[in-house]
Amino acid sequence: MTAPTDRDLIVRARRGDGDAFSELVTRYQTNVFNVCYRILHERGEAEDLAQETFMRAYHRLEQFDLEREFGPWVRRVAANLCLNHLESQKVNAPLDEERDADESQRPEKQVEVRERSEQIRGALASLPAHYRVVVELRHYQELSYDEIASELKIPLSDVKSHLFRARKLLAEKLHAPD
Amino acid sequence: MHLTDEQLNEYLDNEIADRTLFDSHLASCGECAARLTALQSLFAELDSLPEVELTHSLASQITLHAASSPQLPRWLTLTATLQAALALIALVLAAPFVMNLLPAIETPSFTEILIQLQSQWLTLFNLITNYQLPNLPTLPPLQIPTLTLSLALAGASLLWLVGNGLLLRRQIK
Repeated sequence: MTAPTDRDLIVRARRGDGDAFSELVTRYQTNVFNVCYRILHERGEAEDLAQETFMRAYHRLEQFDLEREFGPWVRRVAANLCLNHLESQKVNAPLDEERDADESQRPEKQVEVRERSEQIRGALASLPAHYRVVVELRHYQELSYDEIASELKIPLSDVKSHLFRARKLLAEKLHAPD
Repeated sequence: MHLTDEQLNEYLDNEIADRTLFDSHLASCGECAARLTALQSLFAELDSLPEVELTHSLASQITLHAASSPQLPRWLTLTATLQAALALIALVLAAPFVMNLLPAIETPSFTEILIQLQSQWLTLFNLITNYQLPNLPTLPPLQIPTLTLSLALAGASLLWLVGNGLLLRRQIK
């Protein structure tokens, strides 16, 4: 028996089938959580925002265009929610790079990789909110400049300037001599 | 003439339609090629960021939340909208008949209602101002020994402290 497609699950969820929506959440929760975690760099907040993303998606299911793919759509919803969250908190100041460094379960071989990942996450978290979201949409969700402009409702010139400045800042942080 | 940072970014983002000019320049310019390599390494680092696992599934929590605010089925929403539209049409159709019937019903004027309300208020006001409390029976003087009074006060204070302590302890947890 083949697994139901996302489209089948959405149609069933629209009819009030909670299990179908639960299955959608299970399929995309890690993706959505990682979007939030890359932008917020704090596990608790990222989980809360991931949960809110799915709640928002649930309430918008009726308007969801079944010809589109659910995964990219829900990840864009998450990015937008995180941006709103950051703007409401005005957390644009550089954050502590060790804000949510996970020190648990560190096999020796992976320490270096994990440290570098934390450095990248820290560098991302130090960017202003709009820069973070543009980087997320370009690098992790692979949206074009035009798509990002349309998603964030900002001019194309802003997308470019945010992205290029963000990359410059990231390069300075990550490639700075110790 | 070197490529600008913006051009290098757009080149790597595949946002440039004609790449041949860039390709030929990059093949011949060591400085631009080095800048492109540096940017590529940043891209690679961002791509290398591993996905983090969730410590617990969100599905159960979200299903519970969703169940507490169920979505109305489409047919129900449509029926309710249709009902509202029909009610509005009925109201419009009935309006001329209602306007014909209204003069036949005798209703007091606004001034009459005001006068009636004022008279009721005056009656009530007189009742309140002239009200006299009934004579209360005089209580015999209480004879409580000082020791009993002190013990009672100490007991009440102890109960108050224990009660608040328990409440605070629950909050701290």
